[in-house]
Amino acid sequence: MSSNRGKTAIVGIGEIPTGRYPEQNAISFALDAARMAIADAGIAKDEIDFVIPTTAVFSFQFSNELTTCRLVEELGLKGVSANTTVFSGGSSSTNALRIASALIETGRARNILFVHCEKLGTGVSTQGGIDLFSTAGISMEWEVPYGQHYSTVAALATQRYKHETGTTDEELSAVCVSNRKWAELNPNAFFRKPLTVAEVMGSKMLATPLRAKHSNMLFDGGAAFIVTSAERARNLTDKPAYVLGEGGAVTHFAYHQEPDLTRFGWAKAGREAFAEAGITPADINVAEIYDSYPIFQLIAFEEIGLCPRGEAGAMHLHGDTWPGGQLPTTTDGGMLSKGHTGAGGSVSLLVEAARQVMGRAGQRQVPNCRFAVETAVGGTYMDAQVTILGNEIP
Amino acid sequence: MSDAQHPTKPRPVVQPWAQPFWDAAREKRLILQHCEDCNKPIHYPRIACPHCGSARTGWRVASGRGQIYSYTVVVSNAPSAFVADMPYVVAVIELDEGVRMLSNIVDCDPQQLRCDMPVEVTFEQLDAEFMLPKFRPLT
Ligand SMILES: [Zn+2]
Repeated sequence: MSSNRGKTAIVGIGEIPTGRYPEQNAISFALDAARMAIADAGIAKDEIDFVIPTTAVFSFQFSNELTTCRLVEELGLKGVSANTTVFSGGSSSTNALRIASALIETGRARNILFVHCEKLGTGVSTQGGIDLFSTAGISMEWEVPYGQHYSTVAALATQRYKHETGTTDEELSAVCVSNRKWAELNPNAFFRKPLTVAEVMGSKMLATPLRAKHSNMLFDGGAAFIVTSAERARNLTDKPAYVLGEGGAVTHFAYHQEPDLTRFGWAKAGREAFAEAGITPADINVAEIYDSYPIFQLIAFEEIGLCPRGEAGAMHLHGDTWPGGQLPTTTDGGMLSKGHTGAGGSVSLLVEAARQVMGRAGQRQVPNCRFAVETAVGGTYMDAQVTILGNEIP
Repeated sequence: MSDAQHPTKPRPVVQPWAQPFWDAAREKRLILQHCEDCNKPIHYPRIACPHCGSARTGWRVASGRGQIYSYTVVVSNAPSAFVADMPYVVAVIELDEGVRMLSNIVDCDPQQLRCDMPVEVTFEQLDAEFMLPKFRPLT
C-alpha cells in the first residue's frame, strides 16, 4: 500500500459539552459544533465543498435529514458539491477521515466538514437505550434470542481476557479511574468528580465481571472537524494535525464469530497505521483509546503495541496513563467519563487527538505533544481502526 | 404471556437457508452445516461456504459437546424480555467440531462456571415453534 503519510490534515475542531439537553433539538448540537470547527480552521464557510454527517442513532427521521443535506441548508454553505453520510457505528469518525483524506488527495474535494450530533441522553428512555443496543449490531437469529446485549458483549471479552492474562478486577477498574482523572480536567466531560477503584468495584454488578461503573452511559452531544490538504493546512496554522497513518481490520459481524475476544483486529490495524506513519509506538506522546468499556481500552492499548500483553491494567492502576504519566491516555475522559454519544465516542477521541497535537488542549495539554494515536471501533468491536496524527511529518 | 412488564422473548429471525437447523432443534437435535467441497464445518449457517465460496453445503449431526470459551452471568440491566430470567448465563461455546455458538448455560450453579469448562447441548422450549439449543456442564 502506498503511503498517504502527511498528505492531509485536520485543521479545525468543534465540540459542545456532553450532557443532557432535553429542551434542545439535536440540530443545534450539530450547528454549534460545525460553526466552531469552521471558525477554528480559520476558513470561510463557503470554502467547505464537501459535507459528511454521520448517523444520529436516536432518530432515523433526523438522520435522514442529515443525509438529505439539512446541515448544508441550515449552515448556509454555498460552495458544497456533495453531502453524504458516513456511518459505521463507533468507527464512523475514522472512516469519515479516511474517506475525506482520499477525496482530498485525489482532488475530489478541498475542504471537508465532518459533523456528528446525537441525542441518546434525552431522546430515548433508559430502558429504551438498553433495548436499542440489545439489537444494534447483534445477530437477530443467533444472539438476540439468548439475551445478548452490550453488557454481555463487554463481559464476555473481559472474562476471557482475565482468564488468559491474569488481569484483575482492580486493574480493569483502574481504567475508569484513569479516564476520570482526565475528565476532571475537561469542561466538555459529563462526569468530573474524582473516582476511586473502590467506588468502581463497589458499584452494582451488571453481567459478571462487569459492573455499573465499568459501563458507559448515553448522552447528548456533538462534535465536528475539518479536513484539508497538508499544503492548505500549512497556510492556515503552524500546528495542523497531519493524518500520518491509518490502519484497520474487520474481524466479525456476529460477536461469537470473533476469532479472539481478547485481541480483536487491533494488532494488524496498529501495524498498518504505524508503518504508514513511519513511527513506532515508542514515539507516541498521547494515546486516545476507544473505551466504551475498560476491557476494550486495555486490549487496544496492548495490541497496538503501547505495552506488552497483560500489562496495560497495571499501567492504568499505577498512573502511567494519568495526567503527568509517561503515556497520557484517553485524555478527554472517554466514553466512561466524558459520556457516550453513539458514533460520537470516537469522534470525541479523534477531535481530542487533533486538539492535543494542535496544542489546544488547555489544562489537559500533553507537553511537547508531537504524535497521537487514536483508536475507534464500531458495533460489537467488529472493525478495529487506528489513526495516527502528528504536528510534523516524519 | 406478553405485557409491558414481561415482553415476549425475541424469537430467532430465521434466514431460509438456516431453517434445517431450527427444524432439527425442534426435534432436540443439534446439526451443523458443512461445505461439501472443502468439508469445513460452518456455523452460523450461510448461503454459501465462507471458506471457499461453494454453494454445495449440507448438514451433519453435531457431537453436542464443546467448551466454554467465555461466559457471563447477567444479574441486572438485562434487555426487557430477559429481566425475569435474571440471573442468566450468556456464553460463547466452542464446539468440538471447531465452530462457535452463542448460547445460554443452564442447569448449573453459575458460581461454578469457568472458561474452558466442558459442556453438552440441551434444549429449551421457547414457544410452540422454537426449541433453543442451550448448554449445561458435562457431568
Ligand atoms: Zn467450502
